Parts: sequence; structure tokens; C-alpha cells
Amino acid sequence: MPRIVNVVLVLSLVGAAWNNSKAASPVRVIATTTVVADLVEQVGGDLVAVESLMADGVDPHSYRATPRDIDRLIRADLIVANGLHLEGKLAELLERIGRKRPFVAVGNAVPKDELLSIGNDLFDPHIWFDAKLWSYCPSTVADALSQLDSKAALHYRQRAEKYSKDLLELDKNVRRKFKKIPQQRRVLITAHDAFRYFGRAYGLEVIGVQGTSTESEAGLADMNQLVELVVQREIPAVFVETSVSDRNVTALIEGAAARGHSVRLGGRLYSDALGPAGGGGDTLEGALLSNVDTIIGALRATSTSQRIVE
Amino acid sequence: MIHLAVAIAFLPYNTLVVAAGVAAVGCAAGVIGTFGVLRKRALVGDAAAHATLVGVACALLLTGQRDLAVLLVGGLLSAMVAIVLLVLIRKFTRTRDDAATAIVLSVSFGLGITLISGMVSRGIPGSGGLERFLLGHTASLTATDALLLGTVSVVGVLCIVVGLKEATMVAFDPDFAAAAGWPAATLDLVLIALIAVMVVVGLPAAGAVLVTALVVIPPAVARQWTERLVPMLVIAGAVGLLSALGGVVLSSLAVQVPTGPVVVLVATAFLILSILVAPCRGILWRTRSVSGLSSVSLTKTEVGAATPRVMERKL
Repeated sequence: MPRIVNVVLVLSLVGAAWNNSKAASPVRVIATTTVVADLVEQVGGDLVAVESLMADGVDPHSYRATPRDIDRLIRADLIVANGLHLEGKLAELLERIGRKRPFVAVGNAVPKDELLSIGNDLFDPHIWFDAKLWSYCPSTVADALSQLDSKAALHYRQRAEKYSKDLLELDKNVRRKFKKIPQQRRVLITAHDAFRYFGRAYGLEVIGVQGTSTESEAGLADMNQLVELVVQREIPAVFVETSVSDRNVTALIEGAAARGHSVRLGGRLYSDALGPAGGGGDTLEGALLSNVDTIIGALRATSTSQRIVE
Repeated sequence: MIHLAVAIAFLPYNTLVVAAGVAAVGCAAGVIGTFGVLRKRALVGDAAAHATLVGVACALLLTGQRDLAVLLVGGLLSAMVAIVLLVLIRKFTRTRDDAATAIVLSVSFGLGITLISGMVSRGIPGSGGLERFLLGHTASLTATDALLLGTVSVVGVLCIVVGLKEATMVAFDPDFAAAAGWPAATLDLVLIALIAVMVVVGLPAAGAVLVTALVVIPPAVARQWTERLVPMLVIAGAVGLLSALGGVVLSSLAVQVPTGPVVVLVATAFLILSILVAPCRGILWRTRSVSGLSSVSLTKTEVGAATPRVMERKL
């Protein structure tokens, strides 16, 4: 009789170990962009293995899926996208695969009245550089992960709550930093309109040379108007983005120079993609802070130099 | 005339730069394109333009730079390879001219897109949206770009001026040229290569499809007005130049009007006008003259063969 008890005990131990090892194999998540991948990683921690479909420095508006991508999407336990039409060319594919595989678009977690409309029921998708808007998103990721891995639901919820809190803290931090820049200097000119939420949140006027998607072409009249604006308002610096060609901005600088106004290249901003792993810009928090420091540095450096001249 | 000069002097800097660059390309493309159209090779330029993608991808892969000059050199090299292939296909197979052009165009484009997709999915920095190199970015030309475009345009036109006799011979009667002891095949290659260079250099100014239009439409317009080569070259050059200037100025009048396409639309307006009112060949002229009496040959205009694709290609 004791022997049977032993056998049962051993079996149940083996069973527990089996269960444990199953729980230890991470949930495989495919995120569309590096920004979304970072979000999933923040929420999932060690319990998820997340990969980004698009590598760092890639422009999501024009990205097309390769057969290998489709394969990766189909094999994933969960697909997480930004949504709101950020993944322009992938949207249809995601929708099709999303019907069969667990799929979540984090952009849908943001209340509609906080989104910026760009007409035709479409919204600006670049929500991540407003830390407060982005703080709506961790909980949806936590919910999706909990459905797949219900045992760790508490773990996901706690991490999501903590990350949301961190984002709100970051939001306050960034606000404080921008207070140092006088209001009339807070103008951000970049290659395409990826910073409208960022500008709204932190009190910057944002002007994109190219429009909201990188797919539209700037006309000559737009270029002339922008040169006029830069010269009139004595804007000290314009910025380029890591994932977008900087040709438009170069032409803008040249046009302003011809009018006798020297506008500098303020630096490179992270926009649609984060930086390479290991660098400071490989998390959303890092990238946002790096952007803020670049912008503040460029806008403030010139204001002090002008004061010296005066 | 003075009014025009004053008006130009008051144009914003960016408009001037873009106008200068595009006008140079328009003029030279018109002149050089004339031989392409006469030789029934209107789409050679298009093939060359699409072949640049392979070179552009390789240039980025090798140097890691997304510099315009670097990309252009790469594009030019691969366009040349494509042109040589085109000539070889024609020489050693029974494939006809149009089919050979189509083969080179589509194969090189496919190869280019494959390369770029591969680079993007491997996360090679700067490779995102590289295929948009083919679309051009007229409005953001810089002074350096304009200078480059101008230089190549001048050199291209000079080549034609110097080699006018040879070019004419090869364009009109290559068999006779060969029989008369001319290096016809080499001359032919040089002529095609000139078109290719023009198209590749014009890529940033207008994009692949639109630059093809610049190579084809002005000669088609000129063909309506004259039967002789030198006037045709001059008219084609002038039409190219005026289309470029007109398009650039027009697009600078209203916001959110892309510049490259407007240039092509202006050129098309010239074409429609010419088809209607040109002496001898124009529709109005023909309906006015008594049918049967005028012995003008109307059937073999190059226009039909050279109707350009003026739509913006979606990549």
C-alpha cells in the first residue's frame, strides 16, 4: 500500500514538473514594430518571447510583408499591432491572419476622443510618444496574454499596471523638462507628421514637411511655405527622423539659408521605430527621453547663443 | 521678356533650384529622347530606370550610406548592365526589340524589389522605403542636385551635337550605316546608353515613370511639327524645357500639388495641342484640307507608338 502511495506521489511530482516546464516555455509574440515589441516586453517580462516584424530603423508605412513574415505571423501565439492604420500595407494581411490567430491592436485601447482625426474616420496612428496615451495600452496587452496563459494573469496585470504608472511618471517628467523652453520657441519641424500627439501633450507646435504618412509627396508650394515660416519665426532648428529619408529637411535648410536665415539640423529623432538593441533608444522610454533631450538641446542652444549676440 | 526675368528673380529659392534642375533635365531628355523615339525605343529609358533599383540596393549594401551620389552611381552601373543585356538579348536571340525591353525592365525591377525586401526584413539600416528612389522627390531637390542634373544634361546634349551625323545615320538606317562601314552596333549602344544616363540622372528630379515621359513626350510633340531632324531636336528640347519650367511654377502656386506629375501634365498639354493644331499633321489641319487631295502621310506618326504612361506608379 505505501508503495502505491509512493508511486502516486512520484507521478504527481512528475506531473507538476511537467506543468511547470510547460508554463516556463514563453508565449511567442510577434509585434509589428519595435515600439509595440517594447510594450509587449514591458508587460510580459520573462514569460514572453517577443519579436518585432519590422527591424529598427524601418518605415512601417511602406513596409510590405515577405513570405517569411507571414510564416512568422502564423506561428506566433499572439500578434500585437499598433493599429490605427500605422501598418498601412500590412493592415489587410493582419486582419486576415487576426481572424484565425489571437490578435490585438493596441491603438484601439486609446479612447476615440483623445485621438487626432486625419479625416475619413481615420486617426493619426503615432500615439506612442505621448506617454499618457500610451499608458492606456499595457492593459490590453496584459488581457491578451492572460487569455493565453491564464496562470500568469496576475503577473501580467501587475506588470501592466506598473508600466502604466511608469509611463505617467515619464509624462510628468517630460512636461517638466519642456517648461524650460520659452513658448514661442517650441516649434518642432520634422520630415513627416509623426509627432502630433507628442506636440499636443508637451506644448510643441509640430509641422511635418511630408504629411502624416511617408507615402505622400511634398509639393513645391508646401516647401516654399515652410521656408517662409522658418524664416519669419526665426526657428533655430529642424529635425530628421531615423526611419525617414532626410532629403526634404535638407532642401528646407538650404532654402532658409538662401533667405539669410541659418536653421540648423537639430538632430535625429526616433519616430516610427526605436533604436538598435543595447543603445539608449531601444525602449520607448529611452527613445522618448532621447528625443526630448535632442529637441530641448537644439531649441535652447540657439536661444542662448542669440542672447549673447544681443 | 523683362517681366519674365523679374518674375523669375522673385521666385522663392527652392522654386528656382527645382526649376533649374528639372528644366535642364527636361531639355536634355527631349533632345536625347528624340533618337529613342525615332528608333522606336521609347521604353529603353523606362527599362534603364527600373534597372537602377538593383544598383541602388547594392550600393547601400556595400557602402552603408544612403547618399544620393552613392545611390546614383550604383543605379547608373546597374542600368548600364541592363542596357548591355538588352543589346545582347537582341543580338543573340530572336527576341524582338519591344519584348527584349520588357524582359529587361521587369526582370531587373523584380530583382531590385527582391533585394530591397530582403534587406528590409534583415533590418539593414536605411533600407526601409528604398524602392521609393524610383518615385523621385522633385520638390526637395537641393542646389547640389540641380548642379549635377545640369552638368549631365549639358554633357548629354554636347554628345549629341558632336555626334549628330553618326547618331542620325544609326537612328534612321542602322543597316545602311553598318554596310557603309560605320561601327553601327557601338554607336547604337552609345545612343541607348545616353538615354539611360539621362533617365538615371533624371530619376531624383521626376521619378522613373515621369522621367520616361520626359524622354518620350517632347519628341512626340516635335514630330507633329516637323519632318526634319535638327528642327525636331530643337523643338523637343524647347518643349522639354518649357514643360519643366511651366510645371514647376504651376505646382508652386498651390499647396499639396506634387511637382513631378505636374511637369508631365504640362508636357501632355503641349502634346494634345500639337495633335490638334500642328500644320499638316494636326487634326484641325486635316479636317480643313480636302480629303484625298493632300498626300500627307499620316499613318506612321511616332505618337501612337510612344503614348506615355503618365500615371503615377504605385509601388
